[in-house]
Amino acid sequence: MKTTKILLTSILLGILIISCGNKNETDKQSQPGSTENLEPITLEWWHFWTDPAIKPTIEQMVNEYETAHPNITIKLTDLTWANGHEKIVVAFSSGTAPDIIELGSDWIAEFANSGQLASIGDLVASDTAQYLGWAPATFKDSIVAFPWILGTRVLFVNRDLQKQTSLDSEFVPINWNDMKKLCFAIDSLGKGIYGFGSNAAEKHRLYKKFLPFFWSMGGRIFGQTDRFAGFAGDQAYKALEFYKTLNDSCSMIDTQRRLEDAFLEGIVGVVISGDWLLKRIHNENRKLDFYTTLIPGPKYPGKSFLGGEYLSVSKASKNRESAVDFIKFITSPENQVRFCKANYSANPSSKVATEDGFFTSDINLQTFTKQIRQAEAPPNDPQWVYIEDLIEKCLERILFEGKPMAETLTETNRKIQEYMNSR
Amino acid sequence: MKSRAIYGHLFSAPWIITFALFWLYPLAYSLYLGFTDYRLMLPDYNWVGLENFRNLMHDSDFLSALKNTFIFVLGTIPLTTVISLLFALLLEKNFRGRTLFRSAYFMPSITSMVVIALIFTNLYSRGGYLYLLADMLGLSPPPNGFLLSSKTALYTIMAMDVWMSVGYYMLLFLAGLKSIPKELYEAAEVAGAGAMRKFLSITLPLLKPVALFIIVINTIKSFQVFIEIFVMTKGNYGTSTAVYFIYDSGLSRFQFGYASAAAYILFVIIALFSIAQFKLLKSRPVQ
Repeated sequence: MKTTKILLTSILLGILIISCGNKNETDKQSQPGSTENLEPITLEWWHFWTDPAIKPTIEQMVNEYETAHPNITIKLTDLTWANGHEKIVVAFSSGTAPDIIELGSDWIAEFANSGQLASIGDLVASDTAQYLGWAPATFKDSIVAFPWILGTRVLFVNRDLQKQTSLDSEFVPINWNDMKKLCFAIDSLGKGIYGFGSNAAEKHRLYKKFLPFFWSMGGRIFGQTDRFAGFAGDQAYKALEFYKTLNDSCSMIDTQRRLEDAFLEGIVGVVISGDWLLKRIHNENRKLDFYTTLIPGPKYPGKSFLGGEYLSVSKASKNRESAVDFIKFITSPENQVRFCKANYSANPSSKVATEDGFFTSDINLQTFTKQIRQAEAPPNDPQWVYIEDLIEKCLERILFEGKPMAETLTETNRKIQEYMNSR
Repeated sequence: MKSRAIYGHLFSAPWIITFALFWLYPLAYSLYLGFTDYRLMLPDYNWVGLENFRNLMHDSDFLSALKNTFIFVLGTIPLTTVISLLFALLLEKNFRGRTLFRSAYFMPSITSMVVIALIFTNLYSRGGYLYLLADMLGLSPPPNGFLLSSKTALYTIMAMDVWMSVGYYMLLFLAGLKSIPKELYEAAEVAGAGAMRKFLSITLPLLKPVALFIIVINTIKSFQVFIEIFVMTKGNYGTSTAVYFIYDSGLSRFQFGYASAAAYILFVIIALFSIAQFKLLKSRPVQ
């Protein structure tokens, strides 16, 4: 009898605790105010901007939106690049995806293919002419994401080191021969100084450094009809031969972060990097004499990598219209300029935003604006992340394990072909 | 009596339920998945029989990961066992500062593997202390650091692993040494046995059960090496191991069926190794 009483009391206590748990939410939804006639909506947004330089701006924008739309609450969740992809995959698979998700451009096809992203074409039709970067956002003729902040990479050169070489101080590399000449000249300064910063085998990074050289040679992994066109042709061989010459002869080989550290410390003369390096130079108040220029190709100008941050709406979201409305607010020209100023980002997707004085008055940001017109995105294929992995392994074997170039390229080509056929 | 039994079941129920839900069920389910082409994000999956296992046998990445795992196991276990036994024999002697040495050697075992791996990543990198030391000694380390070369990356991780594990196994050997009766050594001395004879005829045979335990535990741990690889090289530069391969297939590429099949192959290998070690090192009574 006594045991039954204890059990009953415990159950009652448990129920009491659980029922108190959602008090805040209930309170918030039942608050009287100007939104009495509107149904309260909570939009969950998963994003990657955890950097203290930009997070307050994001939160401020969210607050402004909530103030303008009192019935809408935005619930922010931070993701990290280290495991964000895994979390999103698990959320989609378990049916717990948020309403709005920030996606890297090369993930969109993967999620769209599995039917997880809502088509938003009907709601953004009037915006397509005003924004750049729709290619990765479009899957099977349907718009499934909204371009937000785009990204590309340019060549950073330490002018101080260049001045110490026999090259003219005004010399700017415009083709592969020039780039080689510059990197070798800086490398020959000795004293522990390297000409070029070559990426070590880092996942999701190495291929982004190599593919622009491949594209500059006219190489295409996928043909016009979205069929696998090949990776082992003459273009791949020549591009790799050039990259390997730099890698083997005049490079510091390390992770992207360490290469950038070395560039800032004057140990490496030339690196390929994104606008985050400009942000570091700016935020850390580095007194570095450097310049940025377009990535050289066999002919001027060369190609670069196009990526970026996109905002998508989960297909399971019950608030598609509200979610797109919020996305339009976040990606509006004025908010993109605010964002870019706070984060020192170079490539807003809004064409209007790119005309802001912040971008036009900065010569280095201008390099990024020019380069993005010469940038290519990886194939918009749901299996790209796996193909990318095969390409990275191929590069790793050739560059760091001394495997023969032609055979390894052919082997990778065969593996990609097999992979494509097995789908 | 009946109510005592009910209470017994009630008290053990949380553990049994947890075990069944979080251990038995995933084990059985992953075995089932090993025979399917299940991939997260794809709406359906099919029973493929032994196809995953057959594909794994021809997958150069898996075979290379298995090879690296064997190198890791066969390289670290003898070294760890011998060095920890040596340290145990030295630290069993009475001398000033013995406790300090014991604590110092044991310290890495209570430190997080991630922390150790991060520290060693710096020590092994170009300009790191170990790199500079190797350079000073004229060992010509790889130009970009030990971990960025497929010739040295795996071996340097193995060296770190030995350094980290020695303290723990030394402690186990010390406990084993303490349990050997002193009378045996006294009797041997009376019979005129020297230090080496006493070690070979008394210490070593009586330490066999402890050695077996250490070798089996260390084998299982070494076959499952993952954290070091994940933190230090992400499986690059010829350091991918079986568990890293399983992680990469399952949690990066979300090929759960394929990853489950690889996990069961690894399970069978570990089981076979452990059985072989038990048979080889099975203790016989000391004559």
